[in-house]
Order: sequence, then structure tokens, then C-alpha cells
Amino acid sequence: MSSAYLPKLAKIVEVTEMTAIEKLFKLQFVNEEDAKSFTFKPGQFVEVNVPGVGESPISICKSPTRPGPLELLIRRIGRVTNAIHKLKPGDVVGIRGPFGNGFPMEKMKGYDVLLIAGGLGIAPLMSVLQYVIDRREDYGEVTLLYGVRSYQEALFRDMAIDLIKHPEKACLRTFLSYERDDPVFVSLMRDHPENVRKGVVTVLFECADPYIKPDKVCAVVCGPPIMYRFVLKELAKRNIPPNNIYITLERRMKCGIGKCGHCIVGGATAIRYICKDGPVFTYSDVLSVRGLV
Amino acid sequence: MVTYLRYVKMLKENFKDFFETLKKLGEVHAPVRRGRLFSFTKVDSPGEVALNYNRTMLPPKKYFVKPFEEVLKIKVGKGYELIVEEPKSLVLLGLHACDINALRVLDSVYLDEPQDDYYQVRRAAAIVIGVSCEPDEYCFCKSMGTDYAWTGFDLFLHELGTSYLVRVGSSRGESIIESMSNIIGEPTKEDFIKLRDLELKRSRMFKKILNTSLLPDIVDSLHESEVWVVFSDKCVSCGSCNLVCPTCRCYDVTEKVELNLQEGVRVRRWDSCFIRSHALVAGGLNFRPTRLDRFRHRYNCKSSIDPRTNLPFCVGCGRCSAFCPAGIDHVNVLNAIWGLA
Repeated sequence: MSSAYLPKLAKIVEVTEMTAIEKLFKLQFVNEEDAKSFTFKPGQFVEVNVPGVGESPISICKSPTRPGPLELLIRRIGRVTNAIHKLKPGDVVGIRGPFGNGFPMEKMKGYDVLLIAGGLGIAPLMSVLQYVIDRREDYGEVTLLYGVRSYQEALFRDMAIDLIKHPEKACLRTFLSYERDDPVFVSLMRDHPENVRKGVVTVLFECADPYIKPDKVCAVVCGPPIMYRFVLKELAKRNIPPNNIYITLERRMKCGIGKCGHCIVGGATAIRYICKDGPVFTYSDVLSVRGLV
Repeated sequence: MVTYLRYVKMLKENFKDFFETLKKLGEVHAPVRRGRLFSFTKVDSPGEVALNYNRTMLPPKKYFVKPFEEVLKIKVGKGYELIVEEPKSLVLLGLHACDINALRVLDSVYLDEPQDDYYQVRRAAAIVIGVSCEPDEYCFCKSMGTDYAWTGFDLFLHELGTSYLVRVGSSRGESIIESMSNIIGEPTKEDFIKLRDLELKRSRMFKKILNTSLLPDIVDSLHESEVWVVFSDKCVSCGSCNLVCPTCRCYDVTEKVELNLQEGVRVRRWDSCFIRSHALVAGGLNFRPTRLDRFRHRYNCKSSIDPRTNLPFCVGCGRCSAFCPAGIDHVNVLNAIWGLA
């Protein structure tokens, strides 16, 4: 019986320590059939199961345009993710999914893409970033605004530094903000004052403004809940149409298919399941559904 | 969905034969008196059935979404296996219109793609037989527009004194009727006049009235009303309203492993949006941190309209009000929002 409730076995093939609390897991489905039938879109998520501990919704940190194992960037923050962090290559977990709507990559074709990530928000956006790089001719200019707390806590820090030093390599513009000083970022800011700023991610708008063409851009935002309010305000100020602003949200998603009710959001006029109707929403949704951000 | 007008008539003295016919179709469950309350329970004889009940404490959802059930077998590191029970034929006898409409709401959620396998198997194997009722002091289904079920049942018994006017609601209902042609007759014009008069009488009996026009917009736009604070201060967050609600469908999932660490099981059970952990995510962030948030959340959820069935998510059965230990009345809360209390 095929069922959205039935996890599929996946073997951990590689674990990379990204920061003190985040690891990147590469997973291969044990069953050939499962590997073949697993297709996903940027912005979708899976439910990862550690037997006996439980499941956790984790966004896919990889573009479907790239072959190879499934990649999940996981922060050690709760019961399940702590258990996942103890796993090593060769260990087996259960995977359900992919779930959610994902980003409308087709609809974004022909637009400039403005990616705004805060902290761990880079994980779901990595799927979009890789996608637009791999299908570079389908999209206009690509700009990444990436806010981190510190060098130590920065995910994909080598990639970010490389993109700032050698923008020509990936044909995208990268801007980085950080909150706590350290020698690497301070010297990076000294060498690239137009790309690196101290502060939260919104300070980067000033640097990126010359490249933001409101009628030609799709913004894609992911970060901690507090970030959305400020970033959305900045984007709205720049008159980017609300339908061209995409955000992806976190909730307690237990089933992934709009049944268990934990991720329900909204007022009486509009109830939304983050897992099924989302996790990707537009700014229009934010304006019409109570409590999305 | 096809609906058609087809009524047959059955004398009450033949209810025993009717019951025996139903028993052949599956396990019959019906409202049974339990002290001051009623409960849907397995019945073996027609005498146990209390068709003149006001409401059961637990709604019929308990047959389709179990309060507690094992759903998945886990063989650690080796694989998973769904625990889907063999479909067991079930005859649910004596559902009120509100509960039938509530099942339609549950259907629209649980049978929406991708289907919930556990629910689907049980639902497909259940025959639903409705019965007419009279409202008590808690009922407000008329306000919700759910006092009449026009689909979602196989047969519906309208009590007309010494007989039942039986509405046929499905082809399955049709074949049940065919199998008991000896006790079924054609209704007369007088029967329908009697039905009309009884419905009119029933419709005038409702004491709880809720203004539902624009209700979603009113509830949503008055999100900041102090009325919510007044009532949520009385609420004890026990979740009783969730458990007795026929459309509340949130469930929680947990897992456990045996001591041998080889096998485990995934369990799901009814959950409540009044419990603090309902919207809590790893790391400690709670999207509905206060009781006020959770209180409003329930009223938002219940006041909204299911886009698939166009039915309200609240069917006005009155259970949450009747069984609230703090005495919070659903209609009173919303009427206070309307400025009527």
C-alpha cells in the first residue's frame, strides 16, 4: 500500500559539520524504487524519522537540477534533531515526502531573482539558488542578501565569501551582513565595502537597491519568524508587487498532508495549512491571512 | 454528488425487523443511555437503542479517527509497515443531522488528496442512518444551516408519531430498502404534510440563535475585541471542547520502541489546540503562546467555512457548551462578539 504516511528508508552517506549546531546530511534511499520515484521542487520539505524518537519537518537543501543524494541541513534544536545529530554515515532514517507547494520556479521565469536569507533560512533558499544558477538563462539578474549572526554561526560561509570575492564565477551578486565582529568578516568588509555590512539583513537593502527593479523582480525570503516583518516592510516600500514576494514558513508540521491540524494558521475568513497550502506563501497571502507572519 | 427525492414509509412496530436487517449488514452502533448521558455503543437488540436522545458526549468521529491508535509498525533500521485494519462493516444508527454534516466536514479533510488511509478504510465500510431530533437548550444547528442533512447518509428516519418517513440518501440505502420490502410502504400526501408540520414545529423550538451572516468576517475583524479576554480568562484550557467536537480533527503523533530496540510503533491520538504544545516548535518558539491566542484560534477555526463543502466548520451540535467545565457557551461567546450579550 503506498501511503503518504509510510516512511521510506534512507541511509546517511555523508555528514558535514557546518557550525557547532548545524550539520549537512546527505541521504540515499535504500530502495532503488524509492530513489527513482522521489522527485521534488525547490522549497518543499520532508519528514525525517528517527525510529522511536519521532519525526521532524526539514526543508530540502538542494535543487532538483542536481543529481546525487538528498541533502538536508539540520540544526540541533529539539528532541528529534538532537537524535539526528547523533547519527553517522551508514545509519538509517525514515523519510516521508516531499510535502508542500514549493517555490513557483516556472512563474518566476524571466524575472530577476532577489534571495533574502537570514541564518538557517539559507537552507531552503539553497534549493532556489542552485536552481536559478543551473537554469541561469531562464532568469534575469540574481541577487543574494544573506544575514548571519557571526562567522562561527554562518552556514556555507566559504561559499558566501567566495561569491563575494569572485562574483563572476556564479553570475550572481552577493551581499552579506553580520552582527558580531571577527577578523574574517571585518577584513572581508574592508575589501568589499559595497557587499558586506555590519547589522541585520535589512541593512543590505541600501547596498542592493541599485540592482532591485521592482517591476522585474521576484523576491524569495526565508529566515527566523521575526525577520519577515522587517524584510517584507522593506520590500513593500520598494513597490514590489505582493504577488512577486515569496516567503517560506515554519510550523509544527506533523503529518505534512493537511490532516493533523498543528500548522493551521489564519482567522475565520481564511484557514490555511502551512504544510499543504504552503510552506511557500506570497506577500498577498500575508496581507489576507491572519497570523501568517 | 447526486441527491434525489425518495421517501418510503415504515411503521414503528416494524423497527425490530428493520434492526435485524441492519444487523445483517454489520455491527450496529447506536445511541445508548448511560446514566444522564448518551453514548454511541454497540447494540444487539432494538430495545437498547435510545433514538430519542439529545446528544452523545463523544461524536461519531470516534469510529473513524480513533481517540488513540497504533498506526505504524517500526522495525528499527529495517523498515516500516502501515497498521491498517481489515475493513469491518459498521452500521451507525441514529445520527442527528448535525453529526452527519460533521462527518461531511471530516470527509472533506481526511479524504482530500492525499487520503488518510486509516480514515478512508473505516469510512467506506460504514453505513450511516440518520434520525430526526428536537433541539434542546444547547442546540444551534439551525443557525449554522446544518439542521438538515441533504447528503452524507444512506437512510434518514423522520419520526412521524407511529411511523417513520424514511429518506433514501444513497444507492446503498436504496438496496437496504429493497431488501426489506415487506415492511416498507409508500408514503401518502398526509405523511408529507405531517413531516412539514413537524419540521416547522422543530424549527420554531430553537432557543439558541447565532447570527451567522458574515460571521467569519466579524470574528476575524474583531480579533482585538476584549470579549475574547473575558471568556478566555474563564477557560481552563482542558481541551474538553475539542474532544467532544464532531469536527475537531487535530491529532498528535508519538513513537515508542520496545526494550529490545528492534521494534517500535507510531501512535496517534486526538489532540487539542488548547494544549500549549499545539503550536510549539523546536527551539521553544510558540506560535500561539497564550491561552487567549489559543482560545481565539479555536473560535476562528470553528467560525470559518470549509471551502470544499461550503459547510461551516461548526455544525451547532452544542457539545462544547454542554460539556465545558467552565460553563463557557459557544453561542454566548460569539453573541458577545456581536455585541448581543
